[in-house]
Amino acid sequence: MTDNEQALLRTRRLSKQYGKDESLVRAVDEVDLAVGRGEAVAIMGPSGCGKSTLLHLLGGLDRPSDGELWLNGRRIDQLSERALAGLRRREVGFVFQAFHLMDELTARENVEIPALLDGRTPRQARRRALELLEQVGLTDRGDHLPAALSGGQRQRVAIARALVNEPLVLLADEPTGNLDSAATLEVLRLFGHLHAAGLTLVIVTHDERVGATADRLISMRDGALIDETRLTGGTRGSLTALFAKEG
Amino acid sequence: MGRIVLIWRLAVRDVRRHLAQALLLVVAIAAASATLTMALALNGVTSQPYAATRTATKGPDVIAYLTSPSQAKTLAGASGVTASSGPFPVVGATIRFGSRTASVFAEGRGTALAAVDQPDVTAGSWIRPDAIVLERTFAGALGVSPGDRVTLNGRSFAVAGTAVTAAQAPYPNLCYFTTNTCSQGVNLGSPVSVGVIWMTTPDATRLMPKASPLRTYALNLRLTSPDDVQTFVAQHTYFSPPSPGGVPNGVPGADPGSQHGPEQLPFNSMSTWQGIAQADALLVQDAQSVLEPGAILLAVLSVASVAVLVGRRLSDYARRVGLLKAVGGTPGIVAATFLVENLALALLGAVLGLVAGRLAAPLLASPGAALVGSAGSPALSVTGVAEVIGLAVVVSLAATLLPAVRAAHSSTIAALNDVARPPKRRGTLIKVSTRLPIPALFGLRLIARRPRRAFLSAANIAVTVTGLVVVLAFHADADGKFASASGMAAGSLSNPVINRDEQMLAVLTVMLVALSVLNAIFTAWATVLDARHPAAVMRALGARGRQVSSGLVTAQVLSALPGAVTGIPLGLGLYAAVVHGGSLPSPLWLVAALIGTLAAMAALTIVPAWIGGRQPATEALQAETA
Amino acid sequence: MQQEVVLALLAKEPSQGSRLRARLNDALGPLGEAMNAGQIYVTLGRLEKAGLITLDDPGGAADRDRKVYSLTAMGQERVSEWLTEVSWPKPDLAEFHLKLIAAAAAGLADPVSIVDAQRRELLRQLRDVQRAAMDELEGSDAALLLEGIALRLQADLRWLQACEASWITRKRAR
Repeated sequence: MTDNEQALLRTRRLSKQYGKDESLVRAVDEVDLAVGRGEAVAIMGPSGCGKSTLLHLLGGLDRPSDGELWLNGRRIDQLSERALAGLRRREVGFVFQAFHLMDELTARENVEIPALLDGRTPRQARRRALELLEQVGLTDRGDHLPAALSGGQRQRVAIARALVNEPLVLLADEPTGNLDSAATLEVLRLFGHLHAAGLTLVIVTHDERVGATADRLISMRDGALIDETRLTGGTRGSLTALFAKEG
Repeated sequence: MGRIVLIWRLAVRDVRRHLAQALLLVVAIAAASATLTMALALNGVTSQPYAATRTATKGPDVIAYLTSPSQAKTLAGASGVTASSGPFPVVGATIRFGSRTASVFAEGRGTALAAVDQPDVTAGSWIRPDAIVLERTFAGALGVSPGDRVTLNGRSFAVAGTAVTAAQAPYPNLCYFTTNTCSQGVNLGSPVSVGVIWMTTPDATRLMPKASPLRTYALNLRLTSPDDVQTFVAQHTYFSPPSPGGVPNGVPGADPGSQHGPEQLPFNSMSTWQGIAQADALLVQDAQSVLEPGAILLAVLSVASVAVLVGRRLSDYARRVGLLKAVGGTPGIVAATFLVENLALALLGAVLGLVAGRLAAPLLASPGAALVGSAGSPALSVTGVAEVIGLAVVVSLAATLLPAVRAAHSSTIAALNDVARPPKRRGTLIKVSTRLPIPALFGLRLIARRPRRAFLSAANIAVTVTGLVVVLAFHADADGKFASASGMAAGSLSNPVINRDEQMLAVLTVMLVALSVLNAIFTAWATVLDARHPAAVMRALGARGRQVSSGLVTAQVLSALPGAVTGIPLGLGLYAAVVHGGSLPSPLWLVAALIGTLAAMAALTIVPAWIGGRQPATEALQAETA
Repeated sequence: MQQEVVLALLAKEPSQGSRLRARLNDALGPLGEAMNAGQIYVTLGRLEKAGLITLDDPGGAADRDRKVYSLTAMGQERVSEWLTEVSWPKPDLAEFHLKLIAAAAAGLADPVSIVDAQRRELLRQLRDVQRAAMDELEGSDAALLLEGIALRLQADLRWLQACEASWITRKRAR
């Protein structure tokens, strides 16, 4: 179990509610979660269970109704909008299912945005963007518009954008939701490399293949965490056993 | 540093992507700025020019029209007089240039400079034997330039140059018809505009027919207290009963046999500088009465255009705002990207408008410009420029600030997932529409989907029709007003005031109509785009293409109708408020304007509707944005 | 027919062969109809020989339908073991399905936790397969096979999710 005190990301009774009285909806219901440094955590659950909402809360894209949220030892659930923006800029990188790239900017310019927002000079931002495009394997596509890129490529640009300011944690909301099988593998490979390099990941997904790549898989239902599976440690059987039953 | 680059980059790219909208924004603000610039420039003309001319020409405080030169000595030596010039002989004559004829007062002058009222030459040179100088506006109306030849009472003279003076109201001498405070000394028996010319004294004397002797002399006086001029006039004139002709005048020489001293002149024999200043004001006030409602209308129309444009773009913006916030943009930066773009476009529009207005203003102010003294155009002061730019900034700020701030502080995830405000359901309208034929059904439901846009469309049409009504009213008025002013006899000169007013009106009408057309086109496009999905659904369910197009046209016309109808009383009201009195245009014209506007609106919708109808339904159905 | 299934069906209470068959038909639906009627008796015979079940009345009714069978102690043990096994039978899902039903009927274990345990195992397998697939070169034969295995595991996991949801609802309804 992750030591709570050393956890990079920690929540205590985190809640998000909508509506009131009869129409009260608890999207996130008193969630206690801890993510350690360098850990890859997957959150899975049926649609409408609140996993996306939870991720938005973790990333400062939405405000909790109740509870505490700590990032790197700092409490972040009560920050001003301006401070939250800084958080999103520097400490947290977010990747969306719909990519959310700016259609009128090239791939490289899209990746530069957070760097420019953070006050770096255009030259620094450009250099950093090119570094990241190389890291995600898209060096030769830097000057293409999103419309000219495949889904997998667009998501990789989005991942590069999320990493440009060296965040502490990468949050991904259904990152392979809009991708086909091959593109999913592309993205998973990339996540694997990043994780191996020490990046902390929290991924929300309904795709078991994505969930299976995590160190820890958390199940969510009706706004609450109900289950946790440690996936590191290999299988009880072996791969050959799987082959044996075929044919 | 990086932030500035980012904001600029986003603004430039976005403008490139929505070029048509950006252009329309610039045009809308340019139109409003141009009108404001002209209005300000014209205002500048009225406030200072007469003073400038007075200084430049050593203008008189009082001009006395005498029947004999001997009266001059008494008056010139009267208490309160500091300087004088004259008496100069004044002769009535007829001038002909080409096919044009006009009446003139010819004042005989020497080549030496006069101590009071030395006209300022604006083109060519001063008088010499057999060469005359014309008052500048009169020269313009006659179409004469230095070097031309004209005939006066049948004799040929050369035109030496043109000049301006503070001793007379410039052609067309609107002063004539205000009886009390402004008058011309000499009356030719019927109210026509007269031109003023100068020539050498011998030439002037020779102009008189042998039968009638010279009867009028002009004496220019300067007083110690120019403001007290009315007292001076009262001291030295007496009231004479009206002559049998019915026109209250002072015909020097006519002896009504009253009790007055020999050194006293009949009432109406003296012009004062204040009266002449008022005459100038009249000339430009006239222009203002056309310009003001025009400026208001254009300003309103541009604000409405900006509102439509910005409203459309807000939904585009929501997603961008969400994205920027998600990657870490502060509310300040988000608002900045929104504002910078609109502000830059607004400033561009303001500058264009300033330049256009500056260039156009002299055309409109020419009669008044005669008084400025130099050949310069109405000046636009620094404050004037600041006001115009300020207006553009305020208009764009007002339209964009509130939504920008709101967007910047909205929940990020809500903005990011923004599916452009889903249409609201209007149950009653839907129910009502089921009884109507398909095009009307479709049209009505389209309006129900986007009531705000329908309202804006109606507002735009209302402004357009208001403008048209004002134009019609002015035309109806103008004929009556100026016909009496200039006595439009055949072969007479063009009245520069009417010319100018009509010019101005034409310019304003063109600008108004152009802006309205652009606006209507844009609204039509926006409606068609927005209706793509429901139109495709209708077609997929079996509606014919023509029915769908008719539906779109119906939607546009139906939403425009209330606007057009309200435009009529609005226009009449606006005109009545600005121009006191004035006649109404005939109802036939009003109805024609109404129908014409609606027809134009329908026509402008048909093209985009037809183009939209050619796209296969499947494409439109897949682009499932509400 | 897996022997363990029949064992589990006897876990709740001793039963006649005919009743066992009826319950199997119920649980398997159309799949059950394809089953040979005599098949279950063969299995019962084997189980008796292995000492996992006994006849209640050895000398009793000759009609095989009416013979009543019950679990021995060894049989009980075997059932408990079987319930916790997570090896994944391919391609027959019927066994797992029956495992859940039997467990619920006998009150031996919570079907939901059986499903959860199985899910975890499959997830671990999927993880290993994914890893192996990512190590392979794109487009190699092995990669293709691995992808097929991964997709099947994914499909099975989806079914397990459906099982879990279904059994939770049933639990609530009780």
